[in-house]
Amino acid sequence: MDLKLFFAVFVGKLISFLIKSTGGGATAAPGLYALKIDPNLIQKLSRKIPNGSILISGTNGKTTTSRLAFDILSSKYKIIHNRQGSNLLRGIASTLIKHSSLNGSINARTAIWEVDEAVLPQALEVTAAKHIVLLNLFRDQLDRYGEVDSIRNKWQKALKRLPQSSTLILNADDPGISILKNYFKGKTIFFGVSDDKTDLPKVDEVGDITHCLNCGSSLIFKTTLSAHLGKYFCSKCSFKRPNPQISASKLKFKSDFSTKLYLSIDDKRSTIHYSLPGLYNVYNVLAATALGNSLKVNSSNILSTIKNFSAAFGRFQKIEINDKNIFIFLIKNPTGANEVLRAISILPRFHLLAALNDNFADGKDVSWIWDTNWEILKNKTKNVWVGGTRRWDLAIRLKYAGIRLSKKNIYKEGIYSIKASLAQLNNKDTLVILPTYTALLTLQKSLTSMEKGITKWQNQ
Amino acid sequence: MAKPIILNICHLYPNLMDTYGDKGNILTIQRRCEWRGIKTILSQVSINDSLTSDDFDIYFFGGGQDRQQIIVGEDLQKKAKGIKKSIENGAVLLSICGGYQLLQNYFKTLEGKEIKGTGLFDAHTLGSKDRMIQNLMIEIDTDLQSEIKNVYPSTNYKLQTTNLIGFENHSGKTYLGKKTQPLGQVVIGSGNNGDDKTEGAIYKNAFGCYLHGSLLPKNPHFADFLIAKALERRHGKVNLKPLDDTIEWMAHESAVKKSRS
Repeated sequence: MDLKLFFAVFVGKLISFLIKSTGGGATAAPGLYALKIDPNLIQKLSRKIPNGSILISGTNGKTTTSRLAFDILSSKYKIIHNRQGSNLLRGIASTLIKHSSLNGSINARTAIWEVDEAVLPQALEVTAAKHIVLLNLFRDQLDRYGEVDSIRNKWQKALKRLPQSSTLILNADDPGISILKNYFKGKTIFFGVSDDKTDLPKVDEVGDITHCLNCGSSLIFKTTLSAHLGKYFCSKCSFKRPNPQISASKLKFKSDFSTKLYLSIDDKRSTIHYSLPGLYNVYNVLAATALGNSLKVNSSNILSTIKNFSAAFGRFQKIEINDKNIFIFLIKNPTGANEVLRAISILPRFHLLAALNDNFADGKDVSWIWDTNWEILKNKTKNVWVGGTRRWDLAIRLKYAGIRLSKKNIYKEGIYSIKASLAQLNNKDTLVILPTYTALLTLQKSLTSMEKGITKWQNQ
Repeated sequence: MAKPIILNICHLYPNLMDTYGDKGNILTIQRRCEWRGIKTILSQVSINDSLTSDDFDIYFFGGGQDRQQIIVGEDLQKKAKGIKKSIENGAVLLSICGGYQLLQNYFKTLEGKEIKGTGLFDAHTLGSKDRMIQNLMIEIDTDLQSEIKNVYPSTNYKLQTTNLIGFENHSGKTYLGKKTQPLGQVVIGSGNNGDDKTEGAIYKNAFGCYLHGSLLPKNPHFADFLIAKALERRHGKVNLKPLDDTIEWMAHESAVKKSRS
């Protein structure tokens, strides 16, 4: 018997029990302390999972994709998933401990791990990864992650060491992701969008890739759907967008934030209508479909799960308070925020509350709001409220984008800004709330205390 | 009626040196001119584009990823003379981070690879292992302080400081030549290299620094100073109409407070 492991799992379970009995919600602590006792805990427990694990990473969409993948695969397998918690190693460890018996056996066929981009190389080494889903890489919290190129370099090195029996699932439309095929010896599956344009308004894009990652010549984009996603080919060498086996076409974005499209799985095409907004979610749907298909879930099960899926907390949330419609979208980096702004710009005129924080989890550098196209909301908004620790930075950004904003509507505390904005709404009015990550957490508390009926928040 | 005044802006390599949100500087110059009835024309000059130097009143050169910086560094050699000539003739230039580094003598990476600069600023940068990532506040050079005070038209907001506040994120350490004047002295943060307390560089009306943020939106005094300087070359001294900068100064102050906490 492995005493070290036994003791680590025991302590992890004990901490988790103590946290729960005091009403706390921390999901990282059990793993954090257990890893101090046995640093090899993740390797040891991962080996006990018969079908190995699935890693999902990328700048945008990893939470939604993991949750959708969980739902799709649950129709066939017993799965564990770091759904509630941290996407760092400690979060993975916590989840493993939770589902492990004291002697270290795990009651599940496979594990889905949502993994932070910076942690992926380490996670690849310790989790016995059988499927790796890589969504995209965009500039994001440069103070934390550094530049996109440096993250990709680390991924490349880690993928080279991966056993050939694994499967890589890659976004064909992101040249920074599709290039990763060259660094891996095993099977690769691509997903992508076939359309040459979308019916969303155009924004000034911030692309992070302008040159071929293979030979350094300029990369030519026949089609740009978002940032540096599209159909591309190198002006010199043979690098180009690969043909995806899983693809979407004829995308229709509706003003109730549902989406209709053709989903093609290995040349078999079906129509699907689901309730997630925006182009970014099309990629999440494609990635989860590719994974489900690779793990032999039949397509009718995949399609019906997508139809019934609703987004993760705050990523896209619709609530109603006294006949007033509130939509909440998390914003956290320029590309993600641009896609959200495009998605909401198809609404009739609406009220807007935006909250910008600069805590560690949001990124301490708020420069990114200047790479985000707020201009697209000009003449689309009625009243505008601004909150968060860096509310004044956001207020200037909106001012320079030509969006009218009264100084009276700039609030320090989230609770006041949400109360003030709700008080001024007429019935049937729509309020769109755009918070950064920690602002979203504050907002959640405010809304829960205001409206006890919103239990959906915690349950997700 | 007098012909409207026009400000010609040149954005250098906007598609490649655009990673750190520096675009807000261009927007700030444009809006603050438009609000005063000054027309702006924005030209984007990138790889293989020719640079017709005398047309531009103000240049902007932002920060980008290392890979892009190398590509830009090569192309920039063809434009170096034009930019230099323009600066000698009184044009204004604001360069930040990667753009600032490429206008120095050279950049030497940690691995020892040397990227040639244009030498507009007598300075050089050495790659380092530490990444300097934090809010950065500087006290601006004293001569500049009085120039800014003369230019910045205060209205309902009295100019209380000429300091600049921004956010730095770089691993290159910049060392200035003996005669090179820094843009200012570091109050909070690392600045050029984290050792000698200097931040940025000045050559005539060309300025380099590590201040992202974007810099100009929450430092409206510096924005107006650059606009006035840029207009001066062809129009002489121009009195800028005052604007309501309450929000801008609130952002400045809250960023300062944040950097002290």
